[in-house]
Amino acid sequence: MSQSNQGQAPAGKIINGVLIDDTFAEAFGMSGTGIIITADTMKWAKIAAVTATGFGTSVIGCGAECGIDRELSTDETPDGRPGVRVLMFGFSPDALVPQIKNRIGQCVLTSPGSACYSGLDAPAKIGLGKAPRFFGDGFQTAKKLGESRYWRVPVMDGEFVIEESTGITTDAVGGGNLLIVGTDRAGLLETTEAAVEAIAKINDVITPFPGGIVRSGSKVGAKYKGMFASTNDAFCPTLRGATKSELAAGSLAVLEIVIDGLTSKVVADAMRVGLKAVTDIGAKKGVTRVTAGNYGGKLGQHHYHLKDLI
Amino acid sequence: MSGLTFRLKAPATERLDLTGITPMRLAKMASHEIASLKIGMGRDALALGDAFDVSGTSGDTLTIEGAGASLDYVGAGLDGGTVRVIGNVGPYAGRKMTGGKIEIRGNAGNYLASGMTGGMIHVSGNAGDNLGGILSGDRFGMAGGTVVVEGNIGARAGDKMRRGTVIVRGQTGEGAGTRMIGGTIWAEGGFGPAPGFMMRRGTLIGSKVERLLPTFVDCGRHDLVIVRVLNRHLKATLGTLAPKPMPLFVQKIAGDMATIGKGEILLPAA
Repeated sequence: MSQSNQGQAPAGKIINGVLIDDTFAEAFGMSGTGIIITADTMKWAKIAAVTATGFGTSVIGCGAECGIDRELSTDETPDGRPGVRVLMFGFSPDALVPQIKNRIGQCVLTSPGSACYSGLDAPAKIGLGKAPRFFGDGFQTAKKLGESRYWRVPVMDGEFVIEESTGITTDAVGGGNLLIVGTDRAGLLETTEAAVEAIAKINDVITPFPGGIVRSGSKVGAKYKGMFASTNDAFCPTLRGATKSELAAGSLAVLEIVIDGLTSKVVADAMRVGLKAVTDIGAKKGVTRVTAGNYGGKLGQHHYHLKDLI
Repeated sequence: MSGLTFRLKAPATERLDLTGITPMRLAKMASHEIASLKIGMGRDALALGDAFDVSGTSGDTLTIEGAGASLDYVGAGLDGGTVRVIGNVGPYAGRKMTGGKIEIRGNAGNYLASGMTGGMIHVSGNAGDNLGGILSGDRFGMAGGTVVVEGNIGARAGDKMRRGTVIVRGQTGEGAGTRMIGGTIWAEGGFGPAPGFMMRRGTLIGSKVERLLPTFVDCGRHDLVIVRVLNRHLKATLGTLAPKPMPLFVQKIAGDMATIGKGEILLPAA
């Protein structure tokens, strides 16, 4: 993370009463895929999608970072039913294989009326229905239409239809971020929620943490063996006097938005609209500053300078 | 759209074999080479220029005018471009084609699309027996691509068909889907007697069946997601040539239980 600013105002630009630090978010190359989940109603498509993307906040602890990209109208899905597109990100295509298998097998196959299709058109493919089809115990059948093969797995409410594969990209980016600092916890949360809502309108990105917001930002490493990450003490307001703090006096809370996207451009776009949502509200809700998390620029391939996103 | 036009000089007195007469192949040939291609099946080995007046310039389209049922293997081996036929064609049209489009403004003979693996055939009239069927020496019948026939088709369509889609606006003859291994035959006008004889997998969709084999079993009335996917896929790829979508609920009849029974006949549910 960046150097301490305790006792001195960090460099940056003030917009509508909010200081935008002259710093950058450092993000990493990842593999990403898209999956379309449909059901008889939007309610059940979302239930299947929320379940399949659950426990998908951080690739370190969860194996994949997952979330709902957007809702799809009946015109946008292969079966003409309501659906949602979910995105999953992992360290590599190989790392995503068991994640897709388990999440689809346990959370979508099991959900009433669901079906599952490719949600990313890319030259490289990764298995989607290749493993879940075996649940059919020999009763499953396939139908190839155009370039797509669909598996039909008999289940207790009819058939679970799942496309054999979906696209995968290794040009995805994980870890775009905004750290929003405030003097009022309720106002800070409200402002950060507005930023998450603005980011949700950008296609091909997700904010994988609960409600799109992280309150436990981390630093790399810890004093304890075996811990890859630990609390970002420089941004913990209750440690302001006890550690090398990043926070100025009066700062009461910090919330982070982490952004994963299928391309670097969409991550930058998402950060831009998130930043704008914060500065549009300005300081009236108690937000004082926006900064970003980085590791000095040595670990991640992608750097997003906040001054370029204003 | 540029291309050559072949016009039959007179009704053929022998069968003419148009195997490999495709726009892509002709585009690489000089006009005298095209005219000297041997297409006759008789002792005299008739050349293309003897049977047809050739006009136009090589391009992505080949138009055959004044065609008749004596033209065999029209568009056989087609891998791109369009073969447009004004008139009827004989057997084996589209044999082993892998891509491109054949438009036949007339009727097609037996074994239309046999061994086809890709591309599209559109017949404005009727087609004969064994559409998409298997020939001696082949491992499978039709194995990909799409065929749309506006009229009726003959017996045993899709014999040992493995993949692909056949859409028939009219009715099929007896035994559609015989020994079928996969793919879809959609007969808007319904199926003749005994469809799906010894079929292992695959889908026969139609408005009615003249007579079911006793080795087919009723699996009930269902709202199948795959039918929705199929409806949408055909609408997207065929546009106005797509069949009218099936109703939400279909009657699923599984068979042939004399084999592994993973095939199905889907009819509108009562």
